[in-house]
Amino acid sequence: MQKYEKLEKIGEGTYGTVFKAKNRETHEVVALKRVRLDDDDEGVPSSALREICLLKELKHKNIVRLHDVLHSEKKLTLVFEYCDQDLKKYFDSCNGEIDQDIVKSFMYQLLRGLAFCHSNNVLHRDLKPQNLLINKNGELKLADFGLARAFGIPVRFFSSEVVTLWYRPPDVLFGAKMYSTSIDMWSAGCIFAEMTNAGRPLFPGNDVEDQLKRIFKLLGTPTEESWLGISQLPEYKPFPMYHISTTWMQVVPKLNPKGRDLLQRLLICNPSGRMSAEEGMLHQYFSDLDPSIKLATDNSLILQGRS
Amino acid sequence: MNLMCCETESQRRAYEDPVLLKDYRVLQNLLQTEDRYMPSPTYFSCVQTDIKPYMRKMVAQWMLEVCEEQQCEEEVFPLAMNYMDRFLTVVDIPRTRLQLLGAVCMFLASKLKETNPLTSEKLVIYTDRSITLEELTEMELFVLSKLKWDLSAVTPHDFLEQILSRICPDQERCNVIKKHSQTFIALCSTDCKFINYPPSMIAAGSVGAAAHGLLKTDNTKLLQSLHQILNIDVDCLKSCQDQIEQTLSSNLSHMAQLSESAPPKVEIHANHRVQHEGQPTTPTDVQDIVF
Repeated sequence: MQKYEKLEKIGEGTYGTVFKAKNRETHEVVALKRVRLDDDDEGVPSSALREICLLKELKHKNIVRLHDVLHSEKKLTLVFEYCDQDLKKYFDSCNGEIDQDIVKSFMYQLLRGLAFCHSNNVLHRDLKPQNLLINKNGELKLADFGLARAFGIPVRFFSSEVVTLWYRPPDVLFGAKMYSTSIDMWSAGCIFAEMTNAGRPLFPGNDVEDQLKRIFKLLGTPTEESWLGISQLPEYKPFPMYHISTTWMQVVPKLNPKGRDLLQRLLICNPSGRMSAEEGMLHQYFSDLDPSIKLATDNSLILQGRS
Repeated sequence: MNLMCCETESQRRAYEDPVLLKDYRVLQNLLQTEDRYMPSPTYFSCVQTDIKPYMRKMVAQWMLEVCEEQQCEEEVFPLAMNYMDRFLTVVDIPRTRLQLLGAVCMFLASKLKETNPLTSEKLVIYTDRSITLEELTEMELFVLSKLKWDLSAVTPHDFLEQILSRICPDQERCNVIKKHSQTFIALCSTDCKFINYPPSMIAAGSVGAAAHGLLKTDNTKLLQSLHQILNIDVDCLKSCQDQIEQTLSSNLSHMAQLSESAPPKVEIHANHRVQHEGQPTTPTDVQDIVF
């Protein structure tokens, strides 16, 4: 690896170690993702292959940029643009306080990144704060497309991977055999609520049942009337009709009414009722968004204002 | 906290998503993207010194058989053929390496599109062990670098759903047309004539040929709406449809000749067909379509 000088280990991705590194010539700081090839007769892992070729297609300011792929016989190195932190680490640095204008900016950028993926036939499928990267300029970027798929193909849902349940929609938790862009929209809703609460997860379930219970206690247990076909889902089981005791006001106290409206349109149990990313971007909540973010040339002002 | 999820191994399939099907930008993006992944139709004369069109056809038919026997997703075969044609557009290889290339292209396409990709071991067996595991993984990296890792090629199947959702309100009829169209798309991928046809054109031509064959009516109206959806000239669409119909009938008469001259082969075909009932792309299924 002559071209890049390794600086430090950043973490472990879906399929390899990630390093911060510097281009020896240009001094550009990048993130290097290593994929080992030697212990496998199956050649390049399919998750790496998918991430590479999807990211090569998805060039967008709200999607992490893949600069280069280097390969030797024994390993692959993916060269990504470097981002300072992920949303999870950002929350940790917030100490429970977050500027609601930043939430609005991040949410808009999340929806814009998703709208771009969806219009290019790609589902992310594994959205969570750890997969959203934030750079110094307050730009949010979707990352870790190791589980993303080009749309319309059969998928074995995460069975071999360890993935948190917290951002999964009820249809998928009930074993829906088919799902679509709506899976990402549910996750976006969960992340929205988590952002406005400065990093407190909305539905931190321990297992599938607990996860569904938490969801239904807030949103009400769906019935065949509110969601046609729910009882036909492969792993459907009836849940009690919970008495809804918490209001949205209590769940997301910092969020203004327009924001609550957007949130409720994303967190709809029936996948066919969920708002799309494109519709979300046009929501009233964003009507007073800093126009520079809509243009997305430079968002640095927002973060500076905070510190 | 336990974050393990225990899920069954059953396959989950994305449903037809109105967000993607209604949105015109998805179709626009596909149309814009397809050009970037087109091979050069002149590679036999300009690049290859050993490989001839009939060799491509032979290896393509072998690949189609493998994909069918392994019940690969419909897109895997056309996608693998796209990789192969694009590779042959830039690298001159001897005929002895062509099957290895075909195996690698299936290996890559199935990794991209399948939940359970074809294993290297299976592919080696399908070549009757004429290639080794090492050769396969080594060639994989070589092909990837020559294709610049650009594997998200658009295939005619990407357009099929887009077209059918716009022209076909009747779900049942739609499914029949879809199955026949898929067979035609596979047929086009095996035939060198179609290398320079963009995937959107192949998809439209296949839908046209399928509807024409099934309904036996003049399909000027259909061509008109295909023209409106894809913005492809009606005459081009018509000529693509004609080409597909000609290719089909010449393949059918070729098969008929085979069955006359070699009766045992028919038996094998018959068995093959029984095994794969419900798999619309087996070449034998072409015989089911009565014109």
